[in-house]
Amino acid sequence: MHGEPRRVCLLTGAGGLLGSEFCRRYAGEYDILAVCRTRAPAVPTQHEQYVDPLAPDEHLWENRGAVHAVYADLTDPHDVERVIEVALARFGGVDLLVNNAAHLGGYPHTMLDGDAALLDLETHLLTNVVAPFRLALRLAQESWQHRAADNHARRRNVVNVSSLSGTHTYPFLGQAGYGASKAALNALTGHQAHEFGRFGVRVNVVVPDSFPARVATSAVADAVVRLDRGDATGEAVVVDGRAG
Amino acid sequence: MSGREEQGEAAGPARLAGVLAHRRWVRRALPFPHVVASDVFTDEVYAALEADFVRLLDGGAISQPSGSGYEATWARLAEHADGPLSLFLSREWHDLLAGVAGVGTTTGDVSVGLHHHEPGGAPGWPHNDLNPGWFPEDAPGPSETGVDGLVDYHHGPADGSAARETVRAVSALFYLANPPWAEGDGGETGLYDSVAAGARAEGVLVPPVNNSLVLFECTPYSWHAYARASRHQRNSLVMWLHRPKQDVVERWGESSLVHW
Repeated sequence: MHGEPRRVCLLTGAGGLLGSEFCRRYAGEYDILAVCRTRAPAVPTQHEQYVDPLAPDEHLWENRGAVHAVYADLTDPHDVERVIEVALARFGGVDLLVNNAAHLGGYPHTMLDGDAALLDLETHLLTNVVAPFRLALRLAQESWQHRAADNHARRRNVVNVSSLSGTHTYPFLGQAGYGASKAALNALTGHQAHEFGRFGVRVNVVVPDSFPARVATSAVADAVVRLDRGDATGEAVVVDGRAG
Repeated sequence: MSGREEQGEAAGPARLAGVLAHRRWVRRALPFPHVVASDVFTDEVYAALEADFVRLLDGGAISQPSGSGYEATWARLAEHADGPLSLFLSREWHDLLAGVAGVGTTTGDVSVGLHHHEPGGAPGWPHNDLNPGWFPEDAPGPSETGVDGLVDYHHGPADGSAARETVRAVSALFYLANPPWAEGDGGETGLYDSVAAGARAEGVLVPPVNNSLVLFECTPYSWHAYARASRHQRNSLVMWLHRPKQDVVERWGESSLVHW
């Protein structure tokens, strides 16, 4: 588009509902490194492509926007390093980091039910806070930190995917750990926006209501892309189905 | 391409354009190259195929013990090919599968079985299907198919009379006449990158969803198995295309053959 090279997006949680939707809507526009835990997104990848049974050797246009899938456990620091290495080796740089992978699990019988909520808290924090933190930090250290001009020119940025559970209390859903992790992600966004601004990388957070139950998953994906296309940094964009 | 030839009658697999629901099957590289497709046939065609299968099942035709350690019964389609299921014995279908699997040296010989698993049953063990298949001496012409059962498929004629030894080239599994499937119902076909992975149940699972299929070229590495017991009955068509034995010997060596 406009003669610009395609933008490179590093997307975590790519096999989930939002990740898959993002790939479906935007694989034609971005070169996507789709980071998956166990499930690949429902789009063509380097491992999975469409074939016409009546013309199996024909090149299909749907396969041209195939995403590059990489499987990783983002709670493992070595896997995060590997993801960054793959991204830089495969694409030479990253223009948009979407920290979408999340651990959602809630406890069913209040946080007083033994150690269930505590044990899950570690996974919440590792997946929803530490992994996005580490990914953005390593990307900055290994690629962005000394390339301010490039970063400005390519409008490089991070979009974290948070939740209204980080700012609102929803009783009886067992979300103390999840909510706390999303609140931490919101706070992390502000600090990274401030510090990454020095080298021209914007950092924002999307704060959706529950999708697809209360807002369309596509609306959340579109909100991510609007932030990528804009100039904002340090902003929290709520996606709750209300106009505006 | 609109799916219909501009001039004259469509040739080969293109004749199937009218029975296929769509033309976007999915080719996967892992754990070994295979193709999956859902909603393979149009609703009308699928309904006719299912009705034919149910007719045979209810009539007791699919009752032969599988004999290979699986707790299943089966029947050879070639002996019941008087209804819509005969589509699976057609040369067009043969050529379509060969083309999608990327095997250019198939012989035109097909073996198609109707399989029925009662609920439960033990899972199978990983195997690669690189087995021999025997057919009559005269090979089918380019627009024909040869079917199994005319000579001993596994071992050839016991009396030493002339016959052709081929090797399975493409395996395909089509699911039909099953109750709606949901996660946890079991009955999947597992695809594995090694026997050990199969033993650990680490692979790709293809669920028995009606009107869907999985197919792959038979190689020394095409490890697959009936992965786990099914909560419901599980019905399918299993199909094999074949290639000359010499192809397999040249490509992977004589020792790659898995004799019965």
